Amino acid sequence: MNAFTITIDQRTVEVAPGRTVLQAARQIGLEIPTLCHLEKCGPLNSCQVCLVKIAANGHSRLAPACATQVAPGMVIESETEEVHEARRTALELIFSDHLGDCLSPCHRLCPLQLNIPVMIRQIQSGRLDEAITTVRQSLPLPGVLGRLCHHPCEQGCRRGVFDEPAAIREMERFLMDHDLARDFSQSKATLPLHAAGKWSVVVVGAGPTGLAAAHDLARGGHAVTVIDRHAKPGGRLRDVPEADLPPAVLEAEVALLAKMGIQFKTGVELGNQVTLEGLRLGFDAILLAVGELGEGDGAKLNLPLAGAALKADPSTCLLSPPNIFAAGACVKPVKQVVRAMSEGRAAAECIHRYLRGQPPRRPEKPFSSIMGRLEPGELRDFLRTASQEHSAAPCARCSGINRDEAGREAARCLHCDCRSSGNCLLQHYAQVYNADANRFRSERRPFQQELQPGGVIFEPGKCIDCGICVRLAEMAAEPLGLTFIGRGFDVRVAAPFGHPIEDGMKSVAAECVRHCPTGALVMAGDNTRTLERPTVKAG
Amino acid sequence: MSNADLKYVENTVQRLGRKPEALIPILQALQEHHGYLPRESLARLGELTDIRPSAISGVSTFYDMFRLKPAGKHIFRICIGTACHVAGAERVEEALRRQLGIPPGADTDPSQQFTIEHIACLGCCTLAPVVKMGDTTVGYASAEKCSEQVRDYLARQTTAAGAKSTEELDHAPANGAAQIRVGLGSCCMAKGSDLLFHALREDAGQCDGHVNIKRVGCMGMCHRTPMVEVALPGQETAYYSGLTEAQAGALMERYFHPRGWLRRAGHLWTRLLDGLLLEEAAPEQQVGRFSMSKRDPDVRAFLENQVHIATEHFGKLDPLDLDEYLAHDGFAALRQCLAAPPEELIAVIEKSGLRGRGGAGFPSGQKWRAVRQQPGEVKYVICNGDEGDPGAFMDRMILESFPYRVIEGLALAALAVGAGEGIFYVRHEYPLAVRRVRAAIAELEKRGWLGGRLMGAGAPLRLSVVEGAGAFVCGEETALIASVEGRRGMPRLRPPFPAESGLWGKPTLINNVETLALVPWIFRHGAEKFAAYGTAKSKGTKVFALAGRIRRGGLIEVPMGTTLREIVENIGGGAAEGRRIKAVQIGGPSGGCVPASLMDTPVDYESLREAGAIMGSGGMVVLDDSACMVDIARYFLQFTQNQSCGKCTFCRIGTRRMLDILDKLCAGKAQRAHLEELERLARQVGAGSLCGLGKTAPNPVLSTLRYFRDEYEAHLQGRCPAGRCAALVKYQVTADCTGCTLCAQHCPVHAIPLTPYVKHEINLELCTRCDTCRKVCPRHAIEVS
Repeated sequence: MNAFTITIDQRTVEVAPGRTVLQAARQIGLEIPTLCHLEKCGPLNSCQVCLVKIAANGHSRLAPACATQVAPGMVIESETEEVHEARRTALELIFSDHLGDCLSPCHRLCPLQLNIPVMIRQIQSGRLDEAITTVRQSLPLPGVLGRLCHHPCEQGCRRGVFDEPAAIREMERFLMDHDLARDFSQSKATLPLHAAGKWSVVVVGAGPTGLAAAHDLARGGHAVTVIDRHAKPGGRLRDVPEADLPPAVLEAEVALLAKMGIQFKTGVELGNQVTLEGLRLGFDAILLAVGELGEGDGAKLNLPLAGAALKADPSTCLLSPPNIFAAGACVKPVKQVVRAMSEGRAAAECIHRYLRGQPPRRPEKPFSSIMGRLEPGELRDFLRTASQEHSAAPCARCSGINRDEAGREAARCLHCDCRSSGNCLLQHYAQVYNADANRFRSERRPFQQELQPGGVIFEPGKCIDCGICVRLAEMAAEPLGLTFIGRGFDVRVAAPFGHPIEDGMKSVAAECVRHCPTGALVMAGDNTRTLERPTVKAG
Repeated sequence: MSNADLKYVENTVQRLGRKPEALIPILQALQEHHGYLPRESLARLGELTDIRPSAISGVSTFYDMFRLKPAGKHIFRICIGTACHVAGAERVEEALRRQLGIPPGADTDPSQQFTIEHIACLGCCTLAPVVKMGDTTVGYASAEKCSEQVRDYLARQTTAAGAKSTEELDHAPANGAAQIRVGLGSCCMAKGSDLLFHALREDAGQCDGHVNIKRVGCMGMCHRTPMVEVALPGQETAYYSGLTEAQAGALMERYFHPRGWLRRAGHLWTRLLDGLLLEEAAPEQQVGRFSMSKRDPDVRAFLENQVHIATEHFGKLDPLDLDEYLAHDGFAALRQCLAAPPEELIAVIEKSGLRGRGGAGFPSGQKWRAVRQQPGEVKYVICNGDEGDPGAFMDRMILESFPYRVIEGLALAALAVGAGEGIFYVRHEYPLAVRRVRAAIAELEKRGWLGGRLMGAGAPLRLSVVEGAGAFVCGEETALIASVEGRRGMPRLRPPFPAESGLWGKPTLINNVETLALVPWIFRHGAEKFAAYGTAKSKGTKVFALAGRIRRGGLIEVPMGTTLREIVENIGGGAAEGRRIKAVQIGGPSGGCVPASLMDTPVDYESLREAGAIMGSGGMVVLDDSACMVDIARYFLQFTQNQSCGKCTFCRIGTRRMLDILDKLCAGKAQRAHLEELERLARQVGAGSLCGLGKTAPNPVLSTLRYFRDEYEAHLQGRCPAGRCAALVKYQVTADCTGCTLCAQHCPVHAIPLTPYVKHEINLELCTRCDTCRKVCPRHAIEVS
């Protein structure tokens, strides 16, 4: 039979017989999501995330694109609400039986989303430069936070169930002390990510909110000017006792910000030296982060007020459209430094979107499937690879921990994060399809972790029974092989007769790990895997 | 592990082969030998064969019949089919567990004496609830009687083995003399017809005249088992129902005269004694009470609306008597078609309008043609006898009663599509059907009609039997093929259909038992005559297993288009005294509940679908007002989620999440949002599942939501109108109580204090809602609210 045409989302596609709908869609650059599909395995038809709607002979039905062969005259719908709802439901059903945290509790609880487990692994293996980069990528003024942060991360630390949580803030402080003690030219993470763009932003107020916003905006490639009525930047950080925050640390961090290209104009007060009208003429966007307002301050500025605070839209940070934004304590009281900074980050995102012509909105919380509380018995699987020592961290106010102590503290981490986060197809499509991981929340399965001497970590709870590893082992004629055990809801992937999973995939372990669509199979160690995603060529 | 066990593995492999398709039969043999599958034996199996350890492990954990840990000495299999569920199988299980000391969550008691297992459906639905104790099927089990039934069973174990097998009988020639026909289908045997049969045979030897005690297949009236029919030349046939072996002599006495005066006297004397001992009544009278004639209104109503095609000559034929089958036009169709062009055979089936009786109703002729048209020398025909729907037992009965007829149908199909090999795939839960089909094939091979050239003249045809291992999903064609090939019964996406790529990748025709049983008749009488029965789109007749809360249950065959009302009220006799019929569940877990208000729905494929049910394979369970429709939906979801192969997301997880919500509803813990989610999810599971099992699994939920939404609403408010959901009902003692203490004596959990002559009280904390007190109370003073 010769090539014929089919229709996908109203586009005509010429296809060869024997091709699948999935292949035809890829031909025109349309990405149909798949979890269980790997070309060399043939159709496994387990995840059903690749559903499309196929109309033929007056009937229409949902069918998996990966296994349905094209037929002449087929009319296929992919990007419709009905199809998306079916895909979303498939993802949500999978999540209801998927036991795992995409992000570790510490990472998820950090208002600035520092990837703490990665930082800790870098400390543990002595790669301090990498660890510093990890920190600087997430935190504005990390030196300050290393001393002042109220560390909500440590409250969520699973290690705390056994003895003390990992001393995360002390480790971060150690890194920053190490960093600030060096020549600035060695610090690479502070450079703007993008070349300076055409937009300019003025930030009024150089407190934690303003500085954080300025940091993020500068990294976003904008020309940023910070004005403050005081002689030196820092706002309320200047009021912190020296013992808690030596002025040198604040100064060094501000110097780094200046090095990023941020212009500081101090001793300049809004309503005195400059007016809002003046700023409006000079800048594309204005952020007011002036800190808690004093009596009469609000009225003087002639801006919308809610009580004694500025009345900014909580979802867009907009104070006075189109381009005056406000954030931080001038909008609502913010106690903790880290929260003030995260408010600055939210405002920066809103401004960034506004400047690029998009409707402003706060950054979305990163997607994460959540295990919730684990029983101490279940946590023991994690504990096997961690140091049994108690926390070596001294009390918060002494001089910090040294390199050796930081390494020992890092060894206490349970590494309860998912090594596949960011490389996980399930997580990826959950975000694409806006899946609600809790729609079908119900009794969870017990947490288990199989850790092999060869270096494969198997977490059955994360396995979605896609069957790729089972098939790969079969194709490689593994002597033991892998199989599905049981039937129905309780089906599980395992090696036969109670052997550890690695015994069933001796020659294909690396391949199985590479193609696992979730984090059920990972290599111990760092997050080094890059998931192979289908390449979609625009046609 | 002793060497003898491993030796057994070696012998078995030698006997059954070392290829992958031998895996399930080998595991079945090992299971039979050990009572479970010892890990050492499995490991040895991997060494001895070409079968990978992963396959052994995967297959042995997929099928219900395989155990991986030792069972107790006595195994009690509780049937959890629909009819048994409706009749209170859960309460029976609770009582059995208490009786045998098996703690919740475990399946075996600590002393390793007793094991409890569930069995999907034994197909003895008219005897519900049914428990299989060892090899004995016990009908009408109940929480109150279970201790007695267990005692009886154990007593029998210590005395003698059960009845002798009836399968190795030589066939006494049917020479027109007097016949006593004893129904020896599984239902009848469950009520002791095999014991009765042997007793009659023994007595026959002492009787004057020539009397032939004859084994026959199912007589249809399963609610009256065991069935005996007395046919005397020149006299009207009489039926006896419910006789026991002790009454065999009395029956003989009534019709025949024992030889010789002295023997006769002696005989009478002993029988009289027996009779007195048992019933304090003369045996003559005793027997009379069990008789019915064809003019009996009960029998007449049951039989008069039926048309027997698949079940032609029901109750008359010895299932394994080939000559008798031949004398009743058996193999006439095959003989006449042997030389016909296959095209003509297919044309006849197409013209007859025959559609698949397994469920979906696909036109059979079209299926035959598709296989015929495929290129290639090697093709297969498969008879699908994996009748897994709880509440269906048509195929079991047809295979047990008419094995030659189904073989003839399969041979005709093989002839038409050009297949040289045929396979019967039969559930292992139907051991009698398996034995009879095997015996029938062996008999035909002995005559040289199978194995070599068909009927000694046609193309070669080999037939074999493959036993299922307990998996409902294997009724699905692609899963069935996987199972025959020795793999886990996981369906795959169709197309390609088995007609193009089936068993071992070759074109394969799969037809259901009943479909094949209709085929010889169609060839003998012509397509027109078959098509004259039925409706415009559904031709011919349909066999139904009629069971549930009804007066007369059994196996019936009616023309398509007969209304549900005719079946339920005329044939089935309607609801029991004081009860009201609420719905008819048709099509099992893939079907739905048709409410009483739609009783005039004709049974044909399209009308049933419109009513939210499906024809399915023909299980028809009648529900009365004691059934809770939410509980029924939950029951089926429990079944499908347990039987899901576990491959695709919607079926594996979706059915479980639906069940979660139904559990909440039955526990009175659901909110309105749950109900909405249930409906939404049901539609999505139906649309998104890979195979028929998942696609139809939501039907019981959707149909009950459609017709009985008020019951769901009541559960949202914490009420179960039928008083069935244990968490939502309370047992209370009314003022009619006389303080007779019967309830207190029978309460298995001591929730009722023994207070003579004082109105009893039920401690609701302890009460398990087992319903025993209500059943034993002579004053009807126990109220469920």
